[in-house]
Order: sequence, then C-alpha cells, then structure tokens
Amino acid sequence: MHFKVQAPCATLTVEQQREAFRPRVPWAGELDAGLALMIASVPKSVTAGVRRSAVMAALIAAFLGGCASGDTGAAEPWDPIETPNRFMFAVNRTVDMIAIRPLAVMYRDGVPERAQKGVRNLLDNLGEPVTAINEVFQGDPSRAATTMARFLVNSTLGLAGLFDVATMLGMKRTKEDAGQTIGMWAGKGVEPENGGFYLVLPLVGPSNARDATGLMIDYAIDPFQILPIALNVDWFYYSAPRYALSVIDYRSRTMFALDDLEKNSVDYYAALRSAYTQNRAELIRAKREKTDTKGELERRDNLALVK
Amino acid sequence: MPLSACRRDFLGLAAGAAAALLAVSAAAADPAGDLIQSTAGEVIDIIKSTTPGAARQAAIQQVLQTKFDLPYMGQTALGANWNKASEAQRVRFLKAAETAEARAYSERFGQYGGQTLVINKVTPRANGVSIVDSRLNQSNGQPLKLEWEVRDAGRGLRITDVKIEGVSMVMTRRSDFNSYIQNNGGTVEPLINELEARAAR
Repeated sequence: MHFKVQAPCATLTVEQQREAFRPRVPWAGELDAGLALMIASVPKSVTAGVRRSAVMAALIAAFLGGCASGDTGAAEPWDPIETPNRFMFAVNRTVDMIAIRPLAVMYRDGVPERAQKGVRNLLDNLGEPVTAINEVFQGDPSRAATTMARFLVNSTLGLAGLFDVATMLGMKRTKEDAGQTIGMWAGKGVEPENGGFYLVLPLVGPSNARDATGLMIDYAIDPFQILPIALNVDWFYYSAPRYALSVIDYRSRTMFALDDLEKNSVDYYAALRSAYTQNRAELIRAKREKTDTKGELERRDNLALVK
Repeated sequence: MPLSACRRDFLGLAAGAAAALLAVSAAAADPAGDLIQSTAGEVIDIIKSTTPGAARQAAIQQVLQTKFDLPYMGQTALGANWNKASEAQRVRFLKAAETAEARAYSERFGQYGGQTLVINKVTPRANGVSIVDSRLNQSNGQPLKLEWEVRDAGRGLRITDVKIEGVSMVMTRRSDFNSYIQNNGGTVEPLINELEARAAR
C-alpha cells in the first residue's frame, strides 16, 4: 500500500523535458566525445555500442530521477516490480547459500588476515581510475587528482596495488561511482532516496534504476575493463578472477551485517531494500551537502509530520 | 562486471548497536551528548561484566527501557498501522519488539571488542530534536558513522533512533514491519504473533 506512486511528469511535454536536459555549459557537449576518446582503443563496433548505451542509460536515468516532486522521502522505496525482484532475490539467496557464502566463510576464516588485506588493496586499486573519473564529473578535480596520485603510488611503490602506501603517505581513499554522480546532479527536487524503481540484480543484489545505470557507466569507463578487451586478454585470466575475488571479498566483509539484518527482520527483502536505499541516499546527500546541509534533518522533520 | 555494488559496508547496520563496547571519549557539554555518553558507558560496563546470555540480555533490556523511548520508536516503526492497532495489541507489540531488540543487541555486542565511540557535533533542531553525531572507530577497517536522534516526547530526554552509515534503525524496522503486515492480511496481529514467537524462542 505504501509504494510511492511517482508523479508522472504531467506538466512537461517530452520536448520540454529534452530542452531541460540539453547541455548548457560549453564543455557539457563534449562529455560524449570525451567518453568516446577514453574508449577509443576498443574495436569500433564495441565502442559505438557501449557509448550509445551509456549515454542513453544516463538520459533515461535523468528522466527517471527527475520526475518526482513534492517528495518528503518518508515513503517506502518505490518498488513497482516487486514480484520479479523478490524472485531474483530468492535466486540470489539460493546461490549465496549454496556457493558464495560457504566460500566467503572459508576465505574469511582460512586465509591469513594480511593476504585478505592485500587482495582488498589490489581490488581497490583497480577501482581508482573509475573513482577519479567520477570525481571529475562530480566537479571535484582536486579530489580526482589525489585519487590518481594514489593510484600511481600504489601501482608502483605499492607493488601493483597490494599495499596501500598512499594512505600511509596521508592520501585518504575515496570511493565514488556513477550512481552517486547521477544522484548528485539529479537536482534539489529529487530526494536522494528516490533513485527510480528498486531493482534486484542477478548476483549483485540490491540496486535501483539510478545505481544500475551507474554500474553500466562505470563498467564502460573502467580502463581495467577496456584494456583487456583492447589487448585481447583472455577473459579467463583476467576478468573472471577479478570478478570472483570481488564477490568473495565483498561477501566476507558484509557477512556480519547481512546475517544480523536477516536474523532480526521479519521480512528480509523489505529490510534490505530499506537499508540499501537509505545508505545510498546518505552517500549522495554527503555530496550535495557541501551546499545544502539541512536536507536530511528537514526530511526527518517531515517524517514526523507524516506519521 | 565488478561487483561495484560493493560500495561501502552499508550493512554496517548490524554494527549499529556497536556503540557499546566502546571506550567513550567525548567533549559533550550538551544534555543530548551526555545521554549518549552515559548510555555507552553503561553498555560498556554490561559487556565487561557479563557473557552473552540471559543475564546480559536482561541488563541490555534495562538500558533500552531507561535510555531509549521505546513507545515512541515502536509507534514510529508501525507508522499508520499504529492507529489501527488496539490498546492491547500495542502493549503486546511493544513488549515483543523490546525483547527482540534486547536479544539482538546482546548477541551483537558479544562479537565486538576494542572499539571507541567519539562523540562529535550535537545539532539541535527547531522541533526539540537533537542529532548527536558520533564515530565508531574500529580496530580494523573504516570508522562507522553513528548518528543518534534524541528527543523529549513526554518521557524525559530519550534516544529515539540510531543511524549507522545513514541507515536508520527505526526506518528499517518501519519498512520491514510494514511489508510484513501488507503480505499478511494488512493487520498487525500476524506481526505481533511472529515477534512473540521469536521472543519465546
């Protein structure tokens, strides 16, 4: 009953919306070109396909995120496809129970702590370029420079990223993704809680229209996804191990929290949906809050009124 | 595809309660800040003097009753369903939810050790609510951001919500309970029965 019914953009025609999203700053038109440049090394057909879909997805997300108004954020996460989502959630849980969780437990308890730390640093280091690109698009070039400096230091002094030397040198790690970038620019009328419809992805788990779009963009701009394709590195030797390690590492780190949430909820699906939405909103709000510090507190005041 | 959903440990949720085991250091001269500090202090003593089990659960429940505004939290967690519930149902709901939380917290704390809670800024709101910002420093890994909502809703100054990395305990319960109620006939009775069955386990 409490699914938020999103107000359709009734007041704007399609043309008006297109106009609203047309880039106005001089460099904005070059985003597309920049993206193309970044992936210029990929075979043409792939480039064109990836670029088209990434740009389309970004536009779709902009529309999805841009439609709600008068949103107090007190409503439940918007979940119009709850039935298929719950189905995918059940599939994920089964796969998790049979394969991923047992492996993650073995990894957590059997692999030395220092080796786990090394793996985590390695994976984190591979993710730094994506963070840096997102920081540029979030309008924080100095932060992006620090991230790239971290990447260079850790890739060399840190032995290909196994050791996080940069943190010891005082360069703190940040993690940004395109979902946050979209959420940040979605505009003040869009609550960060509103990321479009909720979506449970195969294997990845909780997501929504905004963050799933972000995931695709991050994939398309990741040099460490593009290079292996360009250099014809066998999937089996690079992408598969990286993916497998990410899954096991992530699962072992979230074990305690997920177990706790599952044990202490009467509807695990709904509890996780809520926790995911809130946490993502918090990250996006922190980006916006540089200019707007009252957002979250005002939202809580509204919640008290709604009740 | 990288599991980039691996964002941050949004599921630090669990750790939520973790506010417990902690050596507290703070510079709070505000009544709301003091409340958080004394609560954390009490919980530390409990963790130090008991092992997980019935005794610890009872002690934690005592803290919940004296420091948290459980009726207010329960009412918020039920949302619109609170108004539909009878007085007897409300009493049963609050009792079962209290037991469930006490058990959850006492088990959670058993797995923690050596963290510190640093209380930062206290932000008073126009409607009488204070937000106490704090950070839970862990021996391994990133510090967790804990935010406490403190208000006086007629029972003195009490804690009415805890947020871990942006995930509010009350909001999460609200979603959880609401969805359960929707999927079980739209009344609170099945939810109360389920919570009571869990409490009896």
